[in-house]
Amino acid sequence: MRLPVLCCAVLLTLPAISVGQEPVKPNLTPRIITATKQVTMFTGLENQMLQAVQKKDKAALGSIVTDDCSIHLPDADSMAGDDWIDSVMNKDFVLKKFLIRQMSVADLGTSAVVSYDRVQESSYQGKPDGGEFYVVDLWKQDGGTWKLSDRFVSKVGTTPYMPKGLVKPTGRQ
Amino acid sequence: MRIPLGNIRYFLAFLFVILAANFLMAQRIRDNHAGPGEHMAPNGDGTAAARPTGNTVVTGNGINYNGGPVLHGNPVPIYIIWYGTWTSTTGSNTQATVNLIDSFLAANSLGGSGYEKINTTYGDTTGNVSGNLQLSSQIFDTGSQGTKLRNSRITSAISSALTTGKLPTDPNGVYLFLTSSNVSESGFCSQFCGFHTHQTINGADIKWAFIGNPDRCQSACEIQSTGPNSPSAGVGGADGMINIITHESEESITDPDLNAWFDSAGNEDADKCNFRFGPTQKAANGAQFNQTFGGHNWMMQMEWENSRGGGCDQTLGGTFF
Repeated sequence: MRLPVLCCAVLLTLPAISVGQEPVKPNLTPRIITATKQVTMFTGLENQMLQAVQKKDKAALGSIVTDDCSIHLPDADSMAGDDWIDSVMNKDFVLKKFLIRQMSVADLGTSAVVSYDRVQESSYQGKPDGGEFYVVDLWKQDGGTWKLSDRFVSKVGTTPYMPKGLVKPTGRQ
Repeated sequence: MRIPLGNIRYFLAFLFVILAANFLMAQRIRDNHAGPGEHMAPNGDGTAAARPTGNTVVTGNGINYNGGPVLHGNPVPIYIIWYGTWTSTTGSNTQATVNLIDSFLAANSLGGSGYEKINTTYGDTTGNVSGNLQLSSQIFDTGSQGTKLRNSRITSAISSALTTGKLPTDPNGVYLFLTSSNVSESGFCSQFCGFHTHQTINGADIKWAFIGNPDRCQSACEIQSTGPNSPSAGVGGADGMINIITHESEESITDPDLNAWFDSAGNEDADKCNFRFGPTQKAANGAQFNQTFGGHNWMMQMEWENSRGGGCDQTLGGTFF
């Protein structure tokens, strides 16, 4: 007699635990912001970079990064800026659409730490290769212009643009 | 019929595995908020979901109508909550700043100006924006929620003002929550200089905006360190707030519930001209300005005019820059 009772208890308890354990992000009030001057400027620069990738304009992209630029990915060695540029200029990589959002800028004078969320629709050798990425960029002033010095990037989740399943960073982010 | 004990154990083990898997799959983060800058147009392809029937409101000018209401008041009443310390004798957290912003929002100042008339190019199915706004009433809150704010604390302060009757509960007005430079708000200065939103408070759909004193972060949110109305060199907070108030009040009127006017990238009318000023003149103190009304010179960003193909200008029907 004890086993059927136990069975019922398990059946009743586990779903309740499942629902109770679901983490929920804070339910913030939707709002529309007036971006700071730096957010406005760096949004322009980041868009400029992505548009250069779309157009396969190597010279334009190269002019926005420092000579010793590095790209840092999880579970991988840092990638030299030139190698990164070559990878995104590869004709097999196609950046179709992108969206930058939730940018934050820490202004440090002649350098700035820029973080944002990027959603992109892209493909590599014809296969979907997009997704949502959290990016932290270190920009430095170089002769009066801003150049990308370091990029720390990781994939944060699936989006309508992404293929199913976990996709490891490829360096083309 | 007796069920063997071993079978029941297998059944329970199987049931446990199924439920455990279900439990693990339920751990996906429920993304039920739209954070700063996340405002996404419902029509991602840029097409308009609905077309307003007002006589002068048209689409196809680089900004889309998405079906929601605008504020029609003539004038739209403005309510101010001055939060923090506004009694300093130096800097910009002063009575002089209060007086300046009051005069900016007084009758026959910003409201009714050629600049504000740009807003008349926006409307909804029942009519267009009047292009007029006016300060209705204001209160001071010296810091009921402390100096480290977040949205919920601002809501609490506004709610308190409404439920105690210090300010009227008006779903057709815009509430400006203005903070002194010693008050922080998460994201202020690093992400934004201000924002607007709407919430049900005291039983009504309240439209409110946060505007911080940009003297807290001159490089992020101030146009120039010395503005046309600065009391002394390097004290540009009041003029900086004027610019942000302009931005947020325009948008609170043309997109009060965040579902009326914005483009396919989610940019509202003022976003499309953020920190763009057009031609300027130089004031006696050397500061730049681009508007004159209400007995003052002002430095204000341009606004997106929803006509003639769309563009940023300083006055209705003016040159696009």
